[in-house]
Amino acid sequence: MSFANEAAVPRGALRIDQAVKLYDPDGARVLAVDHCSFDVAAGEICMIVGPSGCGKTTLLNAIAGFHGLDGGAIYLDDQMLCGPGRAKAPVESDRVVVFQNGALFPWKTNLENIAFGPLVQKKLSRVEAFEKARYLMAEAGLEGHENQYPGEISSGLRRRVEIVRALINDPTVLLLDEPYRALDALTKSVMHEALLETHRRTGITIFFITHDLEEAIFLGHRVVIMTARPCRPKRIIDIDLPSPRDYTVLTSPRFRELAADISAAVDEEALKSFERGEKEG
Amino acid sequence: MSDVEDLIAKALPFETLSSGVRERLAAAAQVVEALEGDLIYESGAAAQALYIVRAGTVLLEPSSGRDSLPPQAVQVGEAFGWTALGGKAGRRYRAIAASPASLLRIPGDQVLDLVAADSQDGEALRTQVANALQDIRAPIITARGQGLERALYRFAHWLRSPVPYLGLIGYALLLAFWYLTVEVLKLPRFAEMPGLTQVLQEWLSPNPTYGVSIHTPVYYQHILVSLQRIGIAFALATLLGVPFGLLLGWSRAFKDYLFPLFEIIRPIPILAWVPLAIIMLPGSELPVIFLTFLASFYATALNTMLGVKSIDQTYILAASCLGASQLQIFRHVIVPGALPFIFTGLQISVGVAWFSLVAAEMVSGQFGLGYLINTSYTTVQYPTIVIAMLTLGVVGYVTSALVRAAGDWAMHWRARQLAMEG
Repeated sequence: MSFANEAAVPRGALRIDQAVKLYDPDGARVLAVDHCSFDVAAGEICMIVGPSGCGKTTLLNAIAGFHGLDGGAIYLDDQMLCGPGRAKAPVESDRVVVFQNGALFPWKTNLENIAFGPLVQKKLSRVEAFEKARYLMAEAGLEGHENQYPGEISSGLRRRVEIVRALINDPTVLLLDEPYRALDALTKSVMHEALLETHRRTGITIFFITHDLEEAIFLGHRVVIMTARPCRPKRIIDIDLPSPRDYTVLTSPRFRELAADISAAVDEEALKSFERGEKEG
Repeated sequence: MSDVEDLIAKALPFETLSSGVRERLAAAAQVVEALEGDLIYESGAAAQALYIVRAGTVLLEPSSGRDSLPPQAVQVGEAFGWTALGGKAGRRYRAIAASPASLLRIPGDQVLDLVAADSQDGEALRTQVANALQDIRAPIITARGQGLERALYRFAHWLRSPVPYLGLIGYALLLAFWYLTVEVLKLPRFAEMPGLTQVLQEWLSPNPTYGVSIHTPVYYQHILVSLQRIGIAFALATLLGVPFGLLLGWSRAFKDYLFPLFEIIRPIPILAWVPLAIIMLPGSELPVIFLTFLASFYATALNTMLGVKSIDQTYILAASCLGASQLQIFRHVIVPGALPFIFTGLQISVGVAWFSLVAAEMVSGQFGLGYLINTSYTTVQYPTIVIAMLTLGVVGYVTSALVRAAGDWAMHWRARQLAMEG
């Protein structure tokens, strides 16, 4: 199954195989991820939803290589990232994370932020890196903000800069951890259209954690609903809405059906998690 | 007076108009409601009306591309859309309701007609509008203007605010207290004190009774010697303290080895070091510099370490997943991320440097303001003590301001961010 358009070669298939992650705060062993297995196809937009603190971010961090697993393995295009004999995935720019609260360096201009990846990896010269950054900014509608600092632009624009900063490295997987959580509805919808456009152009795999079910259905090819902690897929739902999508699908009967279906499943898990008094994570 | 007229009366350029003209303006005005996110006008559109905000907030955003100006928020009671008075000009901004807003829309040609019809009020309105346009443009121009232009604008703005005059009242109160207690009331414990007029006379005198005034070279020699010591000690403390603090914050092992030691030595008061410093170091100059350095070093190192600790971990994760090595993270994330704390440390450092310098100069050394205070005390030259004290205040303030200016320069991203948020 390929979700990418014909121009882009689909890359970035993820396989999560029996992943286990334990936390050990103050000696009390807590299972964050328990024998979690699912595949993300190359070029797929895979949306992960689930109760707060269920371990979604733990999974994302393991893919990014910020920490290791206590069992199981993760593969990228059939190469083992981490698993038996390899404690932690290497932190490399083929999998770039866009963080929940944003992580643009406030002391660098937007252009310098975007050129950061190729520059530190010495993939491009200064002139080339800035040229490419300028080009990508123009493509993303960020012209005119090159020499401003992130603190000077709106939060919506900051998110766009951050995604461009990830894309300039030609990653195969984009790891998004609730990137649009703090945005207002209007800005969010603009961001969604822009992300879909970016996906059409690049065909990269997108691993997207969210709490917003409409966002999940609107953007995703598939929605993975996670159980309350420990985290593992409860249900995986194919979103059979036509692509490319625009905002008219939000009112379509099929969209409503999917939303009802998914929210019933999520609510069930959220309730479990709530009753156990787990905190936001 | 109607609510509409009331609002017009309060809006910047109209406040000085006669009520007759305001009535006519109110008659021409319509109330427009906008929902959050509604476009009031697009940039480039023909400018037909000006607006006054009745409720809510409107955001003016420059057309993207050419100008990279920050957007401006217009609040209740403020007016925008002045281009409507500029003939056939197009909009330079687009205006969007940032919250549900209620606006007063006044067609530009009607305002222009009023100006043309009424010679006296018309003229007043013209001047007011011209001023308003300048006021609105001024911050935009200065936001782009570099260095001096911006500094001058801020200074002019500051002079127009009540801040400097309230400050002057503070000075006046202290001087009045001093003058009254010592020279007018001659209170018991104050009788021995040098009075305000006595000190000023001595300070400004070409022939000072006790030998030190602004006309004597020796006065400047004292200042210069103190400044030199501060300069050397502060520079050393910064050169050693910043890297030391960065390492303490960055390297777990480095901290484990050295921080406990640092924490035991740091609470030892600088004055307790005086005898050892004199025994240890040759001459009278080195002990003074060493004592001054020590206090500065603690402040700089400790704040730098806290600065590194304060850096949000996601910046470090982000840098590493963009492919940065540990060394690159240090250079591009740790150092700039710690800068705000480093400069706070340097501010404290320059302050404590003066503190320990004066203490050290009182014990050892020749020349310097601390030395001057001490010798003036032993030779009963009381006005000179106060002259030296006031000079310390001024010189200390200047050095501290210099450090602050250096910080603003090094962290201009921060100033621009604060300007947007504030």
